[in-house]
Amino acid sequence: MIELKGVTKRFEEFTALDNVDLEIGTGTAFGLLGSNGAGKSTILRLLSGIYTADGGNVIIDGQEVFDNVAVKERVFFINDETVQFSGMTLRELKNYYKGFYPNFSEEDFEKLNKIIKLPMDKRIDKFSKGMKRQAIVITGLACRTDYLLLDEAFDGLDPTMRIIVKRMLVDAMLDRQLTTIISSHNLKEINEVCDTAALLHQGKIVFCRDLDSLKGNIHKIQAAFPTNCERGDFADMEILHFEKNQSITYIIAKGEEEFIRERINAKNPLVFDMIPLTLEEIFIYEMEGMGYDFKGID
Amino acid sequence: MYTIDLQSRTPIYEQLCKRITELILKGELKPNDKIPSVRELAKGLGVNPNTVSKAFGILERDGIIYSLAGRGSFVAEIKQDSLKEKAFADFDKAVDEALKAGITCEELAERIRGKEESL
Repeated sequence: MIELKGVTKRFEEFTALDNVDLEIGTGTAFGLLGSNGAGKSTILRLLSGIYTADGGNVIIDGQEVFDNVAVKERVFFINDETVQFSGMTLRELKNYYKGFYPNFSEEDFEKLNKIIKLPMDKRIDKFSKGMKRQAIVITGLACRTDYLLLDEAFDGLDPTMRIIVKRMLVDAMLDRQLTTIISSHNLKEINEVCDTAALLHQGKIVFCRDLDSLKGNIHKIQAAFPTNCERGDFADMEILHFEKNQSITYIIAKGEEEFIRERINAKNPLVFDMIPLTLEEIFIYEMEGMGYDFKGID
Repeated sequence: MYTIDLQSRTPIYEQLCKRITELILKGELKPNDKIPSVRELAKGLGVNPNTVSKAFGILERDGIIYSLAGRGSFVAEIKQDSLKEKAFADFDKAVDEALKAGITCEELAERIRGKEESL
């Protein structure tokens, strides 16, 4: 289990994480959402022991992560900055990680590279951008860690590679209870791969829930009422967005489906349609609620 | 046969429950037929195994499937009645909405006949 307790991380004047509490259960596929600079990568770097927190505790299975080799050899961080190994060949990169991760599986590595066929003895800095990513992804999967952190790693993979990675993750989740944390801007991917997600904004957690209850809890309503209805007429509903276009009223509301239905039906709507939001819509409306207004840009 | 729509607004576990129930109602899955494992479905559909497990848990709770340790999950001997009851409950809900929206019984009947022809 991963626990962040009151974690704060500053970079000079900038507060990247502000007193964050977060719990991620073992075996979860966890999605980290948020705008650029929200603090997603900072969380992943704290969990992989690259950064040390300025305040609070970063704990994996009961132990502090920073400077703790026993914990760090159970965590693999797949990130974009493969450049640090640029002078190495893939074979050297593999052997480097094999020395650090005791569960490294040559068999997994070969199985994966049989599919994508990266050259083993070519310097990685001569690889294309996509190939560099593939190299670090297959190395990371072959390390067979208990925790796998993917920092936008999914975003740069081609569709075939995505399917392969997804299937590897399914096996790892079922066979050894792998916990995955994925930060991504691709909400469709998060929706498919993850069961729980948190939205970060300016270093704080806006929400953290399992995806099904998250989606079941925000609704988009289209209705036409016989009399003029204003936002104030639904004061007991938690309304994120209220808009009228001629006779049709569009409402985005949080809460139980039954409760919302009851409230709308009480106004005797002529037309009433209610659908759950997609993850993408939830993201946009939540961000709008946080003052992250995208409407100024048309 | 185990298709789901990843673009849909309906949660993936709910779609899976519905799909499997549908296959049983249509007779494509018979009592004691083995259904794919969580692993096979998760890999085949490209979804999270926890989501598939959740769907299986619900189907098991509702007595639609049963599982044998180490052997997998199977279609239960279900009374067609209980499935029908469920279908009727969904139907009633939709009919209520339709009547409220001013659709007549004749229009509804017409639509049902149309559905039957297209199946």
